[in-house]
Formats: sequence, C-alpha cells, structure tokens
Amino acid sequence: MPFHQPTPNSSDRDIINNLLQDGINRKKGEEQLFSQYAYFIEQAIHKYSFQEDEAFNIYADTIIAAIARIINHCFEGRSSLKTWLYQIFHNKCVDLVRKKTTNKDSVNHALSISAMFMQMADTAKSVIQEMMERTDRELVKQKLKEIGENCRQLLMQWAEGFSDKEIAATMEYKTADVVKTSRLRCLEKLKQLYKKDKISSIG
Amino acid sequence: MDNMEYIETYFNEELSPERKKEFEQRIATDPVFAEEVAFYLSTKQVIAMEMMEDRERFKEIYTEYKQGNSLKRQKTSLVRKLWPWAAAAAVLAGIIFGWNAWFSSSSTKELADKFVEQNFQTLPVTMGNKEDSLQAGLHLFNEGRLEEALKQFEIMAMNDESSVEAKKYAGIVSLRLGQYDKAINYFSQLENYTRLYANPGKFYHALTLMKRNRPGDTETAKQLLRQVVENNLVGKEDAEKWLRKW
Repeated sequence: MPFHQPTPNSSDRDIINNLLQDGINRKKGEEQLFSQYAYFIEQAIHKYSFQEDEAFNIYADTIIAAIARIINHCFEGRSSLKTWLYQIFHNKCVDLVRKKTTNKDSVNHALSISAMFMQMADTAKSVIQEMMERTDRELVKQKLKEIGENCRQLLMQWAEGFSDKEIAATMEYKTADVVKTSRLRCLEKLKQLYKKDKISSIG
Repeated sequence: MDNMEYIETYFNEELSPERKKEFEQRIATDPVFAEEVAFYLSTKQVIAMEMMEDRERFKEIYTEYKQGNSLKRQKTSLVRKLWPWAAAAAVLAGIIFGWNAWFSSSSTKELADKFVEQNFQTLPVTMGNKEDSLQAGLHLFNEGRLEEALKQFEIMAMNDESSVEAKKYAGIVSLRLGQYDKAINYFSQLENYTRLYANPGKFYHALTLMKRNRPGDTETAKQLLRQVVENNLVGKEDAEKWLRKW
C-alpha cells in the first residue's frame, strides 16, 4: 500500500512559499505564520498557567525555529503546518514547566555580560572590553547561520542562560556532558568560521 | 583542556583563586588568548541580542493580532446578539467617538511630534578629547545614523545594566526610529531608577505613548503626565501645558 503523504493546504502552501522567498515576501510569510497560530499563546496561558510574556516568548521562539527549518527545507510536510508547529510549541511549553518546577531560580535568568565582567580584575576587564568593541558582530551573526541548525539551537539555549542539564532535557541529549562537549565544539566551529572570514577580509 | 573550556570554567567560577589570577594575567599578556575570551563573551551577547530583537519584532505583530482579536470578539459576542441595536448605537457612537478621537489624537500626536522635533533632533555631546562609547553613540545620532546609534546604546545597556544614560538614549533613538514598543521598554526601565536626581523616564514614556497613539495610549499618557506633575518630575512644565490643552 503506497504511503500517503498529506499535501499542505492552500494557506500552509502560501505561507511556506512566501517564507522560501527573500525580502518583502519572506517578511510577509513570517507575519502570516505568526498571526495564523498566535492563539496558541492564549491556550498556553490557560493550560499551563503561564504569564503572557512567558507564553509569548515560547511562541516567538517556536516561530523563529520553525522559520529556520522551513527555510532550510527541513519541514517535510508529513503533517500540517499547524500540527507540526504545535508539536514544537507544546514541547517548549513542557520544557518550561519542567524547568519551573525543578529549578525555579534559573529560568530565563541568563548570567548577563555585566555580571560576568563583575568577577574580572580591572586590567583584564578593560582589555576584553576593548576587544569586544572590535568584534564584528554582523559577521558573528552571519556565521551563526552557517554552523547548522542544531549548533545554532544549542548556542541559543546557552546564551539564554540554560544549564547543560536543562539543554540536555530540552534537546534530547543523553547527558549534560554530551551537551557541553557539543556546545563547545559548536563555539569552536563558529570561531574558526569567523576567523577565516576575518583573515580573508583583512588579506 | 582547550581554551574554550578553560574560559568557561573561569566564568562559571570553577577556578581556584590562584588559577583565576593566572587566567586574568594571561589576558593581559597573551593577546591571542584575550581575543578568545572576547569572542566567547561577544558571541553570547550577539546571540542574546539577536533573540531579543527577533522577539521584539514579533511583539509588534502580536500587539496588532491582539487588537484585531479583541475587536473580532466584541463583534461576535455583542453585535451578533443585539445586532440591530448595536448597529444603530455603533453608528451613533462611531460618529461621536470618531469625531472626538480624530481631533484629540491628532492634537496629542502633534504635541508629541513638536516636542520630538524640538528636542530630539540633536543630542548634547560633551566637549573634550575623550571619546567613550556614549559619546560615539551621540555622534552617530547627530549624524543621522540612527540604526548604528541604537546598536551602540543597546550594547552599552546590555554590557552595563545599570547604565541609565545608555537606556535613556536607546529609548530616544528607538522613539525617533518609530520603534515605540522598544522605546517604552527602555523608558519603563528608566522609571524604575528611583534614586536618580532627575529622571525623565515617566515623561518620555508618556511622550512615546502619545506618538504611538494606539487605542488607550492617550489615556495612559495622561495618567503618566499627571504623575509627572504631582511628583515634580522632569518634564513637569510640558506635562502641565499638555494637560491643560487636553
């Protein structure tokens, strides 16, 4: 019996087509996708007793992740856009619930850069600050897109302040140690890509 | 242990005091290592900022979505049940409120436009040779390079969360760029610094609401301006003038 793959409905197709284009159409697609299922936010507020900003952040992150996957042709269309999106959203909601119950203090409390600087001696601090100001942030952003979706997700969770243990639970890694090794490898990969471009731009 | 891991153990405070000192000395003497530390921190900052910007972008879409949704809800629940009466009342109310809103909104927006034009076209720069990040941001602003100025102030605000000036200017540039939600966010943060001698946070917050001019903004702006007058805050004179005109 042949495997039946559902074809996306016209509204899904419209959104995906727009997202796969550049410029205004991409932007339009992003807005369409966000607005189409924005009612998930309200559902999460009622279902999980989230604050509105918590539910919004989860939904926005869902949309950002979904857009990246669609653009990279990782959405296979095996289910409708709604089902697929809800699955991502639901997983993120469950993660937040889990994090809230296990480690209330660490939720969404990234160790800010200023807090990281606080522990540094003044001489070292000024050297680093000067170097950070020279960092080509646009190039870092650009290279982030080249390290692969999994790496990007890992670094995003890290930048948001989640521990390796929490990331392991969210992204289905076996242990926190595996997360740490993979994350540092991603960081190293990003650094090499950045350096390579930086050197060629100088040369 | 490679450098990235070593750097991380430092920021996770897993090093002994001696090794911590060693780490900091290495920053001062080994530029390649220092570059790696700077890259580690910059990357974390760039990603966090990008996430914030992405969410900010969707926040505006969400606000529009909510407004549209509440209108839809009103329509389905009330208008469907009492539609003939509602239709008649809506026409009448529409004429009255529409007329009223048209005049009041255009005048409050005009007041805000005028203030922005008079006060936020150029910002004062300190005279002197020292070029710090804040001054660099102000120069960019005065040269009309608003996007770059905003980036500069946002980085400063992020690097040093207690930087009141950076937040104030980030708010002002966002206001000039028409990024009202972002401006409100910065000015609200500014309002919370209660120990400041002169804090324009509340006044600028009201000003931004007047510029944004969404339903309910004028009323909230009015309340904020009343608080500015009552508590003798920065912007009191303008607040009094505007409240008299309303």
